[in-house]
Amino acid sequence: MTPAWMEGLDILCKCRHDFRKTGITWGLFLSPDTLVDGARRLFQTGFFLEDISALDSANGFVAVYHLSAYSEADRVAFYVILPHNDPQIPSISTVYSGALWHEREAMDFFGIHFTGHPDPKPLLLPEDMTDHPLIKENENRVPLKDLLDPGEIVERDPGFLFFEEVDSSTEESKPEGQ
Amino acid sequence: MTEGDEQTLIINMGPQHPSTHGVLRIVLVLDGEYIVSATPVIGYLHRMHEKMAEIRTCLQYMPNMGRVDYLNPLGWNWAWVGALERLAGIEVPERAEFIRVITGELNRISSHLVWFGAYILDLGAFTPIMYAFEDREKILDLLQPISGSRLTYSFFRPGGVANDVTDAVLKDTLDFVKYMRERLPMYRDLVTDNIIFRKRCEGVGVLSLEMCQKYGATGPVLRGSNRSYDIRRTEPYSIYDRFDYEIPVDEKGDAMGRYRVRMAELTESLKIIEQAVNQIPGGDHIVKKAPKPRWKAPKGEVYFAVEGARGKIGVYLISNGDKYPYRVKLRSPGFSNLSLFGELAKGHLLQDAVSILGSLDLVIPEIDR
Repeated sequence: MTPAWMEGLDILCKCRHDFRKTGITWGLFLSPDTLVDGARRLFQTGFFLEDISALDSANGFVAVYHLSAYSEADRVAFYVILPHNDPQIPSISTVYSGALWHEREAMDFFGIHFTGHPDPKPLLLPEDMTDHPLIKENENRVPLKDLLDPGEIVERDPGFLFFEEVDSSTEESKPEGQ
Repeated sequence: MTEGDEQTLIINMGPQHPSTHGVLRIVLVLDGEYIVSATPVIGYLHRMHEKMAEIRTCLQYMPNMGRVDYLNPLGWNWAWVGALERLAGIEVPERAEFIRVITGELNRISSHLVWFGAYILDLGAFTPIMYAFEDREKILDLLQPISGSRLTYSFFRPGGVANDVTDAVLKDTLDFVKYMRERLPMYRDLVTDNIIFRKRCEGVGVLSLEMCQKYGATGPVLRGSNRSYDIRRTEPYSIYDRFDYEIPVDEKGDAMGRYRVRMAELTESLKIIEQAVNQIPGGDHIVKKAPKPRWKAPKGEVYFAVEGARGKIGVYLISNGDKYPYRVKLRSPGFSNLSLFGELAKGHLLQDAVSILGSLDLVIPEIDR
């Protein structure tokens, strides 16, 4: 059931979705270190990059990558959770050149820093603008578990507890980590 | 010869250059007439539609969708209502799906006609845009009584469409299909077979499949490089699986290939419209319990993609059940298609930059959002 490209990839939380309900087949929570590896695997499998967006939640920023297959309805979403005070994430532009603009857009809107980006200039907003318009006020931020639908959690790192209330009945949810 | 060399010349193409069709600026480094590097500068028409989504209800956001891409508003209408319907599980009546297909394909033709006229105009031929706008006018006259507007349609609704179509409009649509089919051979004789036009397009801006994959190119740009990828087939939505039509591709990958794909799509869209008008059933044009303006989207995340005139339009919507969406991301096909321009234009003549830009079919408000 698990696609070949996913073998051996270090995934924090692997979620299977129903494509007809969410338009996504796999949602993978990755750490910033494994993101480029994941992107490279999908590139070699023949996926293309649809978009990079981000999201401001109570648990931090979430960078969201959508990649899609050419042959069938198959969309993979990568989620990388980043702290509000120092949002740093490696650029995947060495794998997908199209990421250059998407990453600049996410920099404009959220102030996320993409390390290794060759030209981190504002793309859509003025060059002298310091605000990031899509950052929410602290009281308006909503926890991740109320925003993202984890679908069916296939595998989970024991320290990954963002969805802990969703499956609190399992013995895995120990009060450790975040 | 590199950038910064004494023999190179840096010029600005745009933001008000006629061939950029909107407000796009390209910083070109030229060695003589050859392009050393080309850097598009965008954002002049940025309106922050994604932020506006966070201060409107889902239905109040509909008019925004007509304004993201003014040439193909129904594609964006469709992506937005599709996302809401997928998230909330709203059923759409059969008749509404047919109306969506008919109007959506008419809109694709009108969008391609503007591209066709403007592209040839950029390459120096004035007459075709007059013919193209004459035909486009007929489409606007068809869509006006249906949707109530001529340009920035906000016609689709979650659960259906805003108005029903009359039999008279359907009959006019069939007449238009017949009329348009007679016009297409004229376009072929006038433009497609024109030797001067072909010299400007053939072998210019050859786009490899690998580059398409790296930059996420979709739509006619990708199909012009010989990959049969169309959301209507790959991620079937609405009732597109019921119609008989081809996905045109071209193996050349040059500007002419992209031109040929769009021209072939005109024929295919006409086929779909004809079948849809002949098969349209009776019934409601919108579901009885359709969302009201203050309707709240249920909690969850959803991605919905449709095949717009320029490629894959995607809407990524996250709702926490509040009255406004929590986050909306709009995936615009032109954004990805333009991002490859810098690499594609390298080594070409300055005049070919115009030809390549036109062949990408850019609509700047859609890129800037």
